[in-house]
Amino acid sequence: MDIQNTQSQMRKGVLEFCILSIIQQGEVYPSDIVEQMKAANLHILEGTLYPLLTRLKNAGLLNYRWVESISGPPRKYFVMTEAGTEAYEVLQKTWNEMATSVGTIITPKANPIVHQADAAQ
Amino acid sequence: MLLNKYKIMKKVININFQGRILPIEEMAYENLKQYIESLRTYFEQEEGKDEIINDIECRVAELCEDRLKKGAVCITEQDIDLIITSIGRPADFEAQDGFEAQSSSGNSNYSSSQNEGQNNWDNIRPKRLYRDEQNKVLGGVCSGIANYFGLEPLLVRILWIFLIGVNILGYLILWIAVPSSSVKEIGGVKKRLFRDIENKVIGGVCAGLSKYFGIKVWIIRILFLIPFIRLVFNFREIHLFQFWDAPDFPNFLDITFSPGSVFIYIVLWLVLPEAKTSADKLEMVGEKVDLNSIKNTIQNDMEGFSKRAQGWGSDLKNKYQTDHASNTKNGASAHPSEKRKGIVYYIGRIITISIKAFVYFILGIIGISLLAALFGIGVAATAVMPLRKFLLEDGAQSWAAFGTIVLFIWVPIVGIVTAIIRKIAGFKKTNVWIRSGFWALWIVGWVMLFYFGSSLGNSFSKHNTPVEQSIALKNANVNYLEVTATPKMKYYEDKWFKVSEFVDYGDEDTIFVRNLRIRIVQSPTDSFQVKVVKLSNGKTVAEANSLANKINFNISQQDSIIYLDKGIGINANDKFRNQHIIMTIAVPIGKRIKISNKGWSQTNISINHVGSLLPLSLLYIDY
Repeated sequence: MDIQNTQSQMRKGVLEFCILSIIQQGEVYPSDIVEQMKAANLHILEGTLYPLLTRLKNAGLLNYRWVESISGPPRKYFVMTEAGTEAYEVLQKTWNEMATSVGTIITPKANPIVHQADAAQ
Repeated sequence: MLLNKYKIMKKVININFQGRILPIEEMAYENLKQYIESLRTYFEQEEGKDEIINDIECRVAELCEDRLKKGAVCITEQDIDLIITSIGRPADFEAQDGFEAQSSSGNSNYSSSQNEGQNNWDNIRPKRLYRDEQNKVLGGVCSGIANYFGLEPLLVRILWIFLIGVNILGYLILWIAVPSSSVKEIGGVKKRLFRDIENKVIGGVCAGLSKYFGIKVWIIRILFLIPFIRLVFNFREIHLFQFWDAPDFPNFLDITFSPGSVFIYIVLWLVLPEAKTSADKLEMVGEKVDLNSIKNTIQNDMEGFSKRAQGWGSDLKNKYQTDHASNTKNGASAHPSEKRKGIVYYIGRIITISIKAFVYFILGIIGISLLAALFGIGVAATAVMPLRKFLLEDGAQSWAAFGTIVLFIWVPIVGIVTAIIRKIAGFKKTNVWIRSGFWALWIVGWVMLFYFGSSLGNSFSKHNTPVEQSIALKNANVNYLEVTATPKMKYYEDKWFKVSEFVDYGDEDTIFVRNLRIRIVQSPTDSFQVKVVKLSNGKTVAEANSLANKINFNISQQDSIIYLDKGIGINANDKFRNQHIIMTIAVPIGKRIKISNKGWSQTNISINHVGSLLPLSLLYIDY
């Protein structure tokens, strides 16, 4: 079994959820998303973030606006759209359910299979 | 301290990148360009790829500016490398495809995924036909095809030209239809047409066009030069300077130019602004232009020109009004001076550019004509060289002749052509050694020329003492006499260089020259009389006499026809020393003579000392 592939599949699944979660808390600049995620010990490359944001924006979940910066040209800040908020809520629900399910499954408890194997020996 | 002194200085350039002016090392800029290019390829199939890349570019620019704000003098290769690593390379995206939980909390600002090169993705991308902008001559079609089939671009170009002919239409179609390998240059600065005065030959128009289209400058210069060359080679039937009233107007704006290229050049010279500021220069090379966007840009530029023209117009009006005002008001001339300067400047500019263009046009025509003439002389002189044994003494004189042809004629031709090619190709440095070498050889050529000229002049310096011989005619009392050449055997005729105009090959060591003059005078008696004088030059009178005596020229009469030899035979030992014959024919009053001039184009015929140089094929004279 390809562990790495599974790992990346797992991450991919929650990635959009994490990003939406951060944006849902308020207007952000992409590099702030990277920072916030890093603070939570999750690393994402900006090179992967930008295409994701664009995809989400094109799907109508996000919007952006130009914010004048002190120096240099204006910067693109991302905000949630209504559709985005709805989608986020669905995702959050799914995540909560999944977290509970997964938590239940992986919590150690008496395992009958192991006992059977032991008994066989 | 010492180390600083020996630190290698890297070339730093200023780029306008996403609205920020960044001083950046040239190598770093190259790396950045490569990186953006790799992103572009990676996101090729992505829906919003332009936006993604634009966002990333903005971010790169921002990070660069951060570096500068922290006190960096310029963006180094290392900076770019760190920035790229932090944003991630296409290879990293593929490896991680998302984000990764950090196992050990990193202290570096930049993430540490440097393990992968950026080459993997390159191999797996599907093969598609692109125009190769990196290796293009015109639009990159040929090199794109070469790339697609894994061939040498040069081979494809040659095949393109030879198999399909210069299939311009097909090329244009492919140019438009096939996507470019790099649709946009980094930074996305709008491209504009400028005159590139830094690389100019005349007005910088060609250099500017080459920057705009990203085509090598010599191609554009040659396109502009073709009409000149054509014009000069069409001179054959045009008498000098007659062409002023006869430029072929229907073809005036022909795509293959004709005088239209000069016209286009002048218009562009007037319309296009100079690239003065560094921003101009950036815009000049700005983003890549496709055939489709060319039209728009040219339209914009033309609109700009019409606005400017309007500007001149209103300047004129203003000037008139202010002049008027100052006349009535009697003073207050301080503020309009600026405007006056403007209009004077514009009018002056038009006048100077027109004059300059005119002068360059004339100089160009004269220059290319002279070059063509020189080339013609060179070819003729070289072609005549096999005949030298009939003219030149062996030894020094022959060597001087060779030296003159090679050093005095061919060396400057090669030198000038080389210089023109270097100029067209845009070489800025002149190679001192080559240049002085050419001059030195040419000076030697002059020496050769003088030596050869004086030596040859000396060989012709003396005349023989003329002796008039009477030729007894068999039948001198005919009423009608015809003079013609002896029907002759076939002889070798070299049409190519028209040597046969005055020279026939008899055998290996003999040539015939038709060096004959016929004088027709009135006879004192009632019968025809023929007299012949044989003449020759030579180094000494004795030599000239001996050469004149050796002239063998047969004149025979059959009925009413006088047959003359085809020419004067000259053998290789005796050389040509302007041996010639003056034949005097005395015609009685009331009788008739006909000279058929066929094959006698060199013959001069004079009637009672009135010369007629026209090569008449038939001449009737009645007395």
